[in-house]
Amino acid sequence: MNRTLADLKAYGKGYMRNRSGAFFAFIFPVILILIFGAIFSNTGTKTTLNVQNLDKDALGNDSPESARLIAGLKRTGALEIKMIPSDVNIDDYIRDNSLSVALQIPYGFNYSVDHNILANVTVKGDPTQGSFGVVIGVVSAVVNQRNIELLYGSAKILVHAQNIGSEQFRYIDFFIPGMIGFIVLTSPMFSMASVCAEYRGRGYFKLLASTPLTKSEWLISKILWYVLLMFSSIALMYVVGVGVYGARVAITPLAILLIMTGTFLFTSLGMFLGIFVSNPESAAAIANAIGFPMMFLSGTFFPIEQMPDFMQKVAGVLPLTYLTQGLRATMVLGNEVTAAVDLVIVLVVGIVFFVLAARAMSWKGK
Amino acid sequence: MYGELTAVDHIDLQVFSGEVYSMLGPNGAGKTTTVEILEGLRDPTSGEAKVLGIDLRKAYREVRGKVGVLPQLFEPWDNLRPPEAVSYWSSLFGRDMDAKQVKNLLDLVGLGDKQKVLGARLSGGEKRRLGIAMALVGNPELIFLDEPTTGLDPQARRGLWEVIRDLRKAGKTIFLTTHYLEEAEELADRVAIMNRGKIVASGSPDELITLHGGGTILVLRGAGEEGLKAVGSLGLQAQMDGRDVQVRVPPLQRTKDVIANITRANIPFKDLETIRPVLEDVFFNMVGGKLVEGVVKP
Repeated sequence: MNRTLADLKAYGKGYMRNRSGAFFAFIFPVILILIFGAIFSNTGTKTTLNVQNLDKDALGNDSPESARLIAGLKRTGALEIKMIPSDVNIDDYIRDNSLSVALQIPYGFNYSVDHNILANVTVKGDPTQGSFGVVIGVVSAVVNQRNIELLYGSAKILVHAQNIGSEQFRYIDFFIPGMIGFIVLTSPMFSMASVCAEYRGRGYFKLLASTPLTKSEWLISKILWYVLLMFSSIALMYVVGVGVYGARVAITPLAILLIMTGTFLFTSLGMFLGIFVSNPESAAAIANAIGFPMMFLSGTFFPIEQMPDFMQKVAGVLPLTYLTQGLRATMVLGNEVTAAVDLVIVLVVGIVFFVLAARAMSWKGK
Repeated sequence: MYGELTAVDHIDLQVFSGEVYSMLGPNGAGKTTTVEILEGLRDPTSGEAKVLGIDLRKAYREVRGKVGVLPQLFEPWDNLRPPEAVSYWSSLFGRDMDAKQVKNLLDLVGLGDKQKVLGARLSGGEKRRLGIAMALVGNPELIFLDEPTTGLDPQARRGLWEVIRDLRKAGKTIFLTTHYLEEAEELADRVAIMNRGKIVASGSPDELITLHGGGTILVLRGAGEEGLKAVGSLGLQAQMDGRDVQVRVPPLQRTKDVIANITRANIPFKDLETIRPVLEDVFFNMVGGKLVEGVVKP
């Protein structure tokens, strides 16, 4: 154990002094969180609808009927309402702000409704955008409901929308577990493949073979190091994700176990790949060839369900899929059963690669 | 064996406690393979090897804690400072060293003033010194130094020789491989000349020079044809070199006896020069070429 800890300490010290290692472990994931968070933190299942209400009284207050319509739209929970000033030209505003859809409530709207005159609200936008259809559907539903109320006094059937998650599910919430999976894949696997190649190329394995340190002790020290590194890196990502973007993800015991087993798996896979290459350049090439498709096909950045069927089948055999799926299940959806199953899958695959790496790795010359 | 190539072919050697044993030969002679077999880092295809009385084929792990190893072209870890590297290595051997012990060891190899320098920033000679310090952390009885000065400039090389001499004085047994003739001659108590996987000659430098150096040559300056005839009449082998006569001192004859005979014969010469053979001559005679930077040249 002392030898393992001594190796862990020396390796960790060397790693932290290597600027590229520290960059990819700490700075790179934070940059990604900041960039993706800035882009997607305000997007979730809600579509933004910009509304211009021209039907105001002399004091500038919304007329009762227009206020009722806006409140009805908000109540659906499907739209996020943003108001457009009433003194601007809506077409110019749409163009200048690159809006895909906007709603205009005309002057006299309240009067028309009160006096049974046909009143029009106008949805302006790009019909090719998905949000346009959503807005048309929601606005029509709210207007229909109001028409029925006006006709019969009150509506007889209403649709009640309720969130199934603990909180509203947003992209940043989806993204953070994916980023954790991404970082658990990249740092340990890419580093270990290169480290194994470098150790062989520079004769470090032979040097270590002349000491009492065993291969297993060396392998375990590397896994311990990357587990520590991942926890530090993920803690930083969590702080940034939650602190800056208000991400709603929970650090659960299963999430911690998944991070540990995922690190174990990808450190072992990196060692296994490193056995077959003789220099760090080849190691980087082989790790990229395996790592990059995996990070894009395993639901790291977008849901697997959005991918074509054949890609979903490929994702099914990639270990990162189960790591990100398990992390999302426990951190966002609170589905501990799915997370536990994924944990077992990640652990089993990790054990397989660890055993393969330990058996195939030779420190002695042939 | 590497495929069809037999890297080390039926060699037989014994190293005695407290000596510097040097294996001298060109690149590819089989020196490193031999050392790695003895370090337990490579399995021989046949034969027997014992280090410190331990049979390597049965218990090479036992040897690990008892020998120090400086591999060929040793490179330290780039991002560790010398004290950190030494401390790390000592922990692997289960002999944790405190800061003072580490400093003493670094002083011993001449790195006392390089405590704050990262491994990557050390010079070639300093890196090898650090390698020797790391080899010493387990206080080994036996130290393998595989071409410790290859690629170093002459000054760094001579500096390392001093370190090796100090280790020898401290009673360490040193197995040194080299392709520098002068290094073997300067440092070794005994030398084995290796070529193409075989030991072609072994013994102390003096023994090798006496037996295989071709004998001492006496140069009689300006002796001319008359001198050549006179030398011949004494039963000595000689040849002309311009106006000089070169007389070969026969093996097993003392040089001063031959000089006394020449003087008594009243052979006319202006000056007398003695050229003693060196290990280079031994190598040339045994291998058939000169050893230049690890390569045999005719």
